[in-house]
Amino acid sequence: MSNTTLSPPARSGSLYWAIQAKRNIGVRGLFLVVLGFMVAYGFLFHGLFTGSGFAKFTQSWFPLALVAMAQAILMLTGGISLAIGALVSLGAVLAATTITGPLGVAGGTALVCLAGLGIGAVTGIIVVRLRLPAIVVTLAGSFIIAGAALLVLPRPGGAMPPWLSDLLAGNTPAAFGVLVVVVLLWKLYLATPLGLSLYAAGENPVGAYRSGVPVDAARIAAYAISGLLCTGAGLFVAAQTGSGDPIIGNSFTLNSIAAAVLGGIGFLGGQGTMRGALAGSLLLSLMISVMFFLGFTPVAQYVAQGLIIIGAVAIPQFRMRAR
Amino acid sequence: MKKSSLFASASVLGLGILLNVLGASQADAAANCIKGDRKAPYTLGWANIYSVPTWMKQTQGTIEAEVEQLKKEGLVDKLVVTDAQGDSNVQIQQIQSMIDANVDAIILIAGSSTAPARVLADACAKGIAIINFDSLVDTKDVTAKVNTDSHQWGEQATKFMVDALGGKGKILILNGPAGVSVSDDRRAGGNDLLKANPNIQILAETNTAYNVAPAQEAVTSLLFAHPEIDGILSFGGALSAGAVLALDKQGREQVPITGENARQFLELWKEKGLKSWATMQPNWLGAFAAYTAVQALEGKDVPAFVKVPLPIIDNSNIDEYLARAKDFPADGYIYSPYDRELFAKLLAQK
Repeated sequence: MSNTTLSPPARSGSLYWAIQAKRNIGVRGLFLVVLGFMVAYGFLFHGLFTGSGFAKFTQSWFPLALVAMAQAILMLTGGISLAIGALVSLGAVLAATTITGPLGVAGGTALVCLAGLGIGAVTGIIVVRLRLPAIVVTLAGSFIIAGAALLVLPRPGGAMPPWLSDLLAGNTPAAFGVLVVVVLLWKLYLATPLGLSLYAAGENPVGAYRSGVPVDAARIAAYAISGLLCTGAGLFVAAQTGSGDPIIGNSFTLNSIAAAVLGGIGFLGGQGTMRGALAGSLLLSLMISVMFFLGFTPVAQYVAQGLIIIGAVAIPQFRMRAR
Repeated sequence: MKKSSLFASASVLGLGILLNVLGASQADAAANCIKGDRKAPYTLGWANIYSVPTWMKQTQGTIEAEVEQLKKEGLVDKLVVTDAQGDSNVQIQQIQSMIDANVDAIILIAGSSTAPARVLADACAKGIAIINFDSLVDTKDVTAKVNTDSHQWGEQATKFMVDALGGKGKILILNGPAGVSVSDDRRAGGNDLLKANPNIQILAETNTAYNVAPAQEAVTSLLFAHPEIDGILSFGGALSAGAVLALDKQGREQVPITGENARQFLELWKEKGLKSWATMQPNWLGAFAAYTAVQALEGKDVPAFVKVPLPIIDNSNIDEYLARAKDFPADGYIYSPYDRELFAKLLAQK
């Protein structure tokens, strides 16, 4: 489905774009569905084309986009995380208790980032060095992290500075700007030795190891980056809601997996692209708004959501068979 | 020194009175969030957090019935309903969509007591009437909050139990899940009375989900440990049904018990001839929220918090409730009757 030959953003431009086009084949159907939904949304809600309308829409999508990336990185290395939601909650309560507290904005943000990186790295070390199944380690980890979030903030509360909330989740598309930066950083990361090793470590770890690829380091780094993206999403949710809630992230675990799988990321590692995962998360977020404007009743929404997800995954398969 | 501080406090007091007067005159003009630029017929948005439980379905039923009535009166032309499937983030997105669609009012059961605060502030600034009921948000940016008092729930239940036992006896206490505010508040409401009556001996307390099966299991094992039980102080309707079933299965004599308006419990109450007491979170809070939203949009003053008195079911009026049982689902709640007159009275209280 996807081509795992990775060239860093290349000097020979035509080859680079040819490869990128080839990697898009599996998710072209999804891109079309997402585009269709975008057009429908713009048609139903004209305010989407105003600054604040676009800002609010991208803010709804932003945390889901980050956790979809967090899950996709792990799945590309052949891992998975069931602790995504708990980490988002932890990031949110840490942000809501420290940023207006003694640490200030810089200190609080640093703490949130370090917590994500640290917890991610420890999880990665346990999974990779002890050769334990990621699904078990992260399930256990999710209980510990969710408990820690409840210890930090037993009931919803805390606060974020209003100016920070307005900056990140006000009427300007700042969140979308951050997402663009994150995606560019991801592209840069793929050009580093660790980033290059990511796909190899997921697709064929033994072969990669024998070829001198730092498989363990690539996988541990993936867990650390994944953790950082999750607590970062938590910080954003805290800013968006102006407070911390110790269980706010719960639903992100399942949604992150749904977005990644929808985006063509395989469970076995090394298969899929980040742009697919992002498109998957965008579709999940778009569906909620579009179905509201179409006036679907809640029961019809349940059914429609299921049908759209199956459709978006099945269309490329049908096309491949037809070929 | 002393004089100047006296002067300072006097001027602060004066300022306070002035602010109060200003605040009051503003409140008289219109309810919070209302700007007066929206005209009937209105579009109502009902932002539900989770539509599956029976209590929620019945609540939605009362909202739809009220909206039908309001449509006939030409005050409402449309009801849009969202279901966040338990996800607070989705609920925020759906409230945002309601703002984007320019609904005139939002009625809301919140999934988080803090998370929707900012999006509600946006809605309030756009002149949308917001009525928050049942699960409340910590914010001032709503038109009104509507709820019963969980603390009072616990206090009244405990009072019934103390009176039923004549101030002396051995009881079990059944609580909902630990760490849930409703459950904690109901239990806390009973605390003072239990302290004041040291002859009421608490044999054991349970924490279970608000479901029949886990409560029945917990009470069954407690029955083995305690051969003599004089009363069961239950802080939830399904818990009471579980306790009655547990006593029945063991062949033990039924004892005075408190509970809620779950149809199953009320039917057991009659069938077993219990001495009992029950209250409820009335489903018509939904209908009342819809009614209140329209009243606020029509320019009526609406109190910022409407405390709904707890309707009481006891041996004197249980038959009235059971006579209407066939109108309610078997796993549902038989709520007290309501009408516009009651709604008007609730809104008039200060």
